[in-house]
Amino acid sequence: MTDKTLFLIPLLPLLCGALNVLFGMRLPRQLSQAIAVGGVASSTVLTLVLWPLSAGAGTHVTLFTWLDSGTLHVPVEILFDPLSASMTLMVTGVSTLIHLYAIGYMHRDADYARFFALLNLFVFAMLTIVLADNLLLLFLGWEGVGFCSYALIGFWYREEKNASAGRKAFLVTRVGDVFLGIALLWLFKLFGTLSISGINAGASQLAPHILTLLVVLLLLGACGKSAQLPLMTWLPDAMAGPTPVSALIHAATMVTAGVYLLCRLFPLVSLSSTGLALISAVGAVTAFYAATCALAQREIKKVLAYSTMSQVGYMFLGVGTGAVAGSMFHLFTHAFFKALLFMGAGCIIHLCGEENDIFKMGGLRKKSPLVFWLFLAGALCLAGAPLSSGFFSKDGLLAAAYAHGTPFYLTIYILGAFTALLTAIYTFRLLYLVFGGTSRFTGDLHGLPKLMTWPLIPLALIALFSGVLNLPEIFGGHQWLDHLLHAAGSGESHPLSHMQEWTLAGIATALFAIGWAVAHWRYSRFTPAQEKKAVLFFLHGWQADRLVHATLITPFAFLSRLFWQGADLAVIDGILESLGQGCQSAGERLRTLTTGRVSSYLASLAWGLLLFMLFFLLQVVQG
Amino acid sequence: MNPLSSLPILSLLIWLPLAGGLGCLFLRPVRHASRWIALGTTGVVFALTLFLFITGSSKNGWLFFEDHAWISRFGIRYTLGMDGLSLLMTLLTAFLLIVAVLISWQVSPYPDFFFSLLLLIECGIMGVFLSLDLVLFYLFWEIMLIPMFFLIGVWGHARRLYAAVKFFLFTLAGSLLMLLALISLYLLHGQQTGDYSFALSALIHTQIPPNLAWWLYGSFFVAFAVKVPLVPVHTWLPDAHTEAPTAGSVILAGILLKTGVYGLIRFGFPLFPGPAHASLPILAVLALAGIFYAAWIAYAQNDAKRLIAYSSVAHLGFVILGLAAWNLTALEGSILQMVNHGITTGALFSMVGMIDQRAHTREIARLGGLWTRVPVLGAFFLFFSLASLGLPGLNNFTGEILILLGTFTTHPVWAALALGGVVFAAIYMLRLVQGVLWGPTKGDEPWTDLSGREALVLIPLAILVLWLGLHPSTFLEPVREPVQLLLQGSMFPSMPGGMP
Amino acid sequence: MIVPLSHILGFSSALFVMGLACVLARRDLIMILIGIEIMLNAVGLALVGASAFWQKVDGQIFVIFLMAMTSAEVAISLAMVVYLRRQKATLDADAYDGMKG
Repeated sequence: MTDKTLFLIPLLPLLCGALNVLFGMRLPRQLSQAIAVGGVASSTVLTLVLWPLSAGAGTHVTLFTWLDSGTLHVPVEILFDPLSASMTLMVTGVSTLIHLYAIGYMHRDADYARFFALLNLFVFAMLTIVLADNLLLLFLGWEGVGFCSYALIGFWYREEKNASAGRKAFLVTRVGDVFLGIALLWLFKLFGTLSISGINAGASQLAPHILTLLVVLLLLGACGKSAQLPLMTWLPDAMAGPTPVSALIHAATMVTAGVYLLCRLFPLVSLSSTGLALISAVGAVTAFYAATCALAQREIKKVLAYSTMSQVGYMFLGVGTGAVAGSMFHLFTHAFFKALLFMGAGCIIHLCGEENDIFKMGGLRKKSPLVFWLFLAGALCLAGAPLSSGFFSKDGLLAAAYAHGTPFYLTIYILGAFTALLTAIYTFRLLYLVFGGTSRFTGDLHGLPKLMTWPLIPLALIALFSGVLNLPEIFGGHQWLDHLLHAAGSGESHPLSHMQEWTLAGIATALFAIGWAVAHWRYSRFTPAQEKKAVLFFLHGWQADRLVHATLITPFAFLSRLFWQGADLAVIDGILESLGQGCQSAGERLRTLTTGRVSSYLASLAWGLLLFMLFFLLQVVQG
Repeated sequence: MNPLSSLPILSLLIWLPLAGGLGCLFLRPVRHASRWIALGTTGVVFALTLFLFITGSSKNGWLFFEDHAWISRFGIRYTLGMDGLSLLMTLLTAFLLIVAVLISWQVSPYPDFFFSLLLLIECGIMGVFLSLDLVLFYLFWEIMLIPMFFLIGVWGHARRLYAAVKFFLFTLAGSLLMLLALISLYLLHGQQTGDYSFALSALIHTQIPPNLAWWLYGSFFVAFAVKVPLVPVHTWLPDAHTEAPTAGSVILAGILLKTGVYGLIRFGFPLFPGPAHASLPILAVLALAGIFYAAWIAYAQNDAKRLIAYSSVAHLGFVILGLAAWNLTALEGSILQMVNHGITTGALFSMVGMIDQRAHTREIARLGGLWTRVPVLGAFFLFFSLASLGLPGLNNFTGEILILLGTFTTHPVWAALALGGVVFAAIYMLRLVQGVLWGPTKGDEPWTDLSGREALVLIPLAILVLWLGLHPSTFLEPVREPVQLLLQGSMFPSMPGGMP
Repeated sequence: MIVPLSHILGFSSALFVMGLACVLARRDLIMILIGIEIMLNAVGLALVGASAFWQKVDGQIFVIFLMAMTSAEVAISLAMVVYLRRQKATLDADAYDGMKG
């Protein structure tokens, strides 16, 4: 088996996606679904089989040259190192489960072929981001996931609202992509190559201010994809898509691409301490912002969307502290429990007959205990219940911020810890409103297809216990992930004493307990919400959409009309048209000379003759 | 040497379409003869160029060359030459002409005249891309114009006469300036050397006083800028595209616009290196203005065709930006982007034509929900729209990224600004896609999905989109040497047998 | 030369001016035509005179052509006059302003 087999990992989903694109409509449903799941599942198996290749510095393979011009040389090359291998395994594994779930979810939709084709293409694009060892190839995946996200959010395109949500996601993330693109151009100018390994190797020779600018550009690019401030407005709207899409793209994989990018380029990023601080700040502020918004949401998927934004904020926070492995750890655990939560939410919505509003649910614990236990597993991880995976991963990131010891990072830590409290509150709010109390739901419960529940069971187990991947020493672990990802680079480490670690863990536990208590006190009995102004403010995400609308979209539309009607039609065409009209009116006036009467022609002929004669006469006289 | 080397193959490329055009007229009594003649002629021309491309693209220098005395009284010669750049352009022309013939298969009225005009245009374009004598070039330059005028004026939509006259006047105003300039260049060169000649190879050695050089370059530049078109002389284009029949739009956007860029590369820069290089920043400003201004306007359009027309102006802005950057990568990107734009925009115009045939409207507000009605057509539309907005892996991306990478190495600010234009492209393109494909269906009479003939047009275009997006080297290699020579300022590769 | 050139030229100019006056002053098509004939003959006279003066035959050849042309012109214009008269039942030149712009 040669190294080139590695290319099959992304290409298998591409191939299966292409099959569904070309023939999906003509294939029977089972076959089409089998192709889709088969493509992703075989990628998973392949990743496991080829895992040994990732050992050490990993394996680097080139397939062919994509672009070649002058000094520019862009091969299609992938790097299978521990970082990308573990990410690949997560992406393919979670994708496989979500694909299975999607079979159940889509069992009545006639447009299955398009759905599975796009889902497979998405996995391809995502794996391209993960595996690419070339920034331009990464960019291909980066925009590719953007397109798939666009098409899947607007999957039910007959409603204008869904299509608009997809468009918004595409455009906002593309704004981020522009910054990533500028960084890419700049890196090419500086290094003469776009190879990630090459850039990471040569990064230390750059001047500090250039590094900082580059990190800012990369950060903005990452912000777009990962829905961080200020490019976060698209994520809540993206919930218009089918639930498997939300689980796969807007929770487990695509939104974490920004984190992965920063980790991948960490040797470069880590050289700028200003840049790192900025990354932390963006992460912490986004985490806080999104948690406050999640507190007020009424749609179950929007709660989860804001919580995703918030958790990704934690990952940014972690990258900013230099804890690459910690961030990746949180990325993995988050992928598991958030995919679980989203799929659970899909089950809940389906049970309640496509009802999204948590104020209209309630009492589901008794009616569907299996869904309750599965959802609870995810929720405990999200809220950071002690010994769940989310507890370890989140705590690790906060500890890394705390360990820096500078006032700035202490502020970050406090913000992060406070956000953890909010997280516990909104998670339990969600649990109480959906499962607790009595049913406020009118109508019968719908049945669930088996495929919508059983992929959740392994996921729930993984979510709960994936903490062992990177169990801290004080809990008897070996920090396996830390060791694995050591090669990917890490910032300066500030070891904490065991006493400090226990204290931080204690604080986290206390925050969890307080959050639960608050939620219990407030939401264990449902009281119809008052539409206070503050609640509405948080419900609408701090009115960010309205702000964007007023400052960007309205002026843009106004200017586009102005340029068209004002500049193009009125000024440019106006000038030219008046030129034409000038000619025409001059002709109109000259036209009257043509009387049509022979006699006037003859008279003018005679006058002309006379003038000539006079002229010659004058010549003679003068001469 | 290949067996075709004894044939005057370049002349064949030019005069075969003309012969086909005459054939269309003579065989008028035979029903449907003209479309088959047109298809046959364009097919043969395409086969010829494809053969040249396969056999000749790896060679250096002039791949083919023809030179005959023509009007020796004035030193006008019949000089044709083909290097990698012309090869790529003729290939694109021959390919898009087949597309144009196929999409106007059921044109009415006067199909014979229509097809003979199409073939006449092909004759003119081929001539423009192959001429190396300024008078010959000018002649073909005008030959392109006249059939296009009739194509728009006779087979166009509601405001066709306005559009046709506008197109004609804009282009003519530019090209007359060029005629004046080339005659003065001729006289100047004649006075200096005693050799009165219109040959490009001779005229590039003219010693032009700097002041005069600016005027002459300015005149050439205006002629080419109108054709490209650059802001602010672009306003003929939206009207012409909107009113032209589908085939006319495809040819206009796909090829005619490129003759402007080609003219700058082949004639403008080599003849007047001084002012051309000094004015590169102006060129860049105009390019950036085009990228943003046209994209901005495109967003406000209600007519799908007009939107795509404005998008052409924005895309050509990228091409011009690559010229302005004036280095190898950017120039190669520009040339590649010309091909890319020809293919995607040609495809999009064809598709709007197909939609128009079914919906009898091109107004975005009155379309919608096409995916439900005609999913295959919708999928193609989405595909080409994505290519147009520069999705990596599809063709426009490769051209744009080469241009941007090349530009950034010398002028970071230009490139960074231009990259912002990519967002604008996404904004208007997605608006178009949403208006046409998504949303509820309007009206409920059944539509037929893609017909076999339409698929025959779109599938090769789609394959090319992928090919150019994933393996552009096929098309980049032939232009490498011409671009290098251009950058060195020595226009002409040596030719066995020597230049006139 | 028996007659000095200046006399011939003077006479032909006088003749030309009379013809011109006829063309300008009269509105009847026939009279205008007659005026034109007079002017043509005046020119012919000048040409012959000049030819005799310079002892070159060109002028006389020219006059022969002129006469041939004049007769052709008269034939056509008279036919047209007949035709026009049938159209509008008048020979007033100002009545025919179909070429008005």
